[in-house]
Amino acid sequence: MSELEQDRREIASVLQQPGARPDPSLKITRRTFIHRSCLVGAATVAETFAWWPLLNTLDIANAADAPFKFAWISDTHLYPKSLNTRFVEKTVRAVKEVQAMTPPADFLIFGGDLAQLGTVEELELGVELLKEVKIRKVYIPGEHDWYLDMGKKWGELFGQANWTFDHKGVRFVGLDTISRAPDYWSMKKMSPKERMDHMSVLDGTVAGPWAGVGRDQLDWLQKTLSNWDRGKPVIIFSHNPLYEYYPPWNFWVRDWRDVNEVLKPYTKVTNIHGHVHQVLYNEIGTMRSIGMLATSWPWPYAPEGVPKLTRPMIRVDPGDPYDGVGWSPWSVSAQDKVDTEYVMWGRKEVFAQSVEDSFANIPEILRPRIADNMYPY
Amino acid sequence: MTARKRFLVALAGASALSVLATVAVLVGPASAHKDPVTAQQLKAYQDALMEEVRKGDLLFHGDDAIAKQMGVKLTATGMACAMCHPMTADTHPHTFPKFQAQMAKFATLRDMINWCIEKPNQGEKIESDSDAMKALEAYIYWSNTGSVLIPGRY
Ligand SMILES: [Fe+2]
Ligand SMILES: [Fe+2]
Repeated sequence: MSELEQDRREIASVLQQPGARPDPSLKITRRTFIHRSCLVGAATVAETFAWWPLLNTLDIANAADAPFKFAWISDTHLYPKSLNTRFVEKTVRAVKEVQAMTPPADFLIFGGDLAQLGTVEELELGVELLKEVKIRKVYIPGEHDWYLDMGKKWGELFGQANWTFDHKGVRFVGLDTISRAPDYWSMKKMSPKERMDHMSVLDGTVAGPWAGVGRDQLDWLQKTLSNWDRGKPVIIFSHNPLYEYYPPWNFWVRDWRDVNEVLKPYTKVTNIHGHVHQVLYNEIGTMRSIGMLATSWPWPYAPEGVPKLTRPMIRVDPGDPYDGVGWSPWSVSAQDKVDTEYVMWGRKEVFAQSVEDSFANIPEILRPRIADNMYPY
Repeated sequence: MTARKRFLVALAGASALSVLATVAVLVGPASAHKDPVTAQQLKAYQDALMEEVRKGDLLFHGDDAIAKQMGVKLTATGMACAMCHPMTADTHPHTFPKFQAQMAKFATLRDMINWCIEKPNQGEKIESDSDAMKALEAYIYWSNTGSVLIPGRY
């Protein structure tokens, strides 16, 4: 059994115990993408594409407050304008669409990877483009924003990387899952640019398991939630998913077990995350976790497959820069349902309608790259 | 008449070129291929592969120095192959050749590599038998070691 397979089994046994699911009041409606197989046990390949009606609605109790909307944009990966105009155009489009939401969103969460190589020019370009969104904006960092100057410029522009606020009956938390990488640069005497280059390659082998919440931030999270009613809704924004999906690409946080310990008592936790650039859904204990699209480009699903609860997205047309990418509006209704949809510009149907149309269609066995470990470092 | 002569007569109708090739194989140096392969030879063959894999890996991940060294311009947008294909995921070399919808033609992996260079990357396509193409192909195939051949799979 591979190490990854062992980890997979462990996460299933620890976090996906029978009966441990998000609060039963979280009803299935039109847009949620719960997979049938998780409810009835193991599925065959054919069954994998037989879905329940979809939804993504959290039925949240104690919601006396007014309905509201918010919006998510992330992973714009901006290069300087002179090098890449497509990424700029797509950011502008997302920004315009958020600004045009009716009724308007109460706030925009930017979920990290604003820049591609973390330069001042790229980060400032991002700020300039996001100026078109006039509503409140909150930010969490991505690894691409950080490792050139270790978050200096990002901090100047956006402030503290983790934060919390309450809004109309929901406690929102922004986590920093990117700044606690083990030091892979000092021993090798890397320049800031070299450090960033390694970090900016998803399948790089040098930066290692960089995604994590960290003991200090876990303590902060626990304290932050301690005065919050355990049955009231909590929405946690993070750049990386708060569970283990595919460590070689840091589609995880390495301390997911500890995160689960902290969140366990709360029955209505929704984690919304970026970094994976793909449609993704999972349930971890009582938390549901939803992956968001990038505006820049889509990542393929991990070679070992998607979480059982994920309804796979369509296979992207690589010739269309607007396919497989987009943003998401979220709404919290008067009955306290949290609802979202993927706005994918390239097409109407975000989810694969057949095996052949799925991004996870063709079996493949892959091995990690080698050249970044042998040359020139 | 020896077996070899009879064989050559039987080939008389074939093209001159293929006869020549056949002769070269049949009458080649008497000692060729008769010694057991040595460990050094095996290592040399493997090294030859891995050197191509290394170069291909760097090209695939957008390394400027190696692109310059090999005289290719694979991108004009900052996009590298690996940005959509980490660990060569979703390149599916084991499904080629096949009808490729984007090109609307029956295509090889090399055709597809060039299509990606020209379209999403907006770079300059490379010769089908160039060193850069061989290196990219070596890296992609090596990365997919163990994937089962399913030519034509959509
Ligand atoms: Fe990203
Ligand atoms: Fe990221």
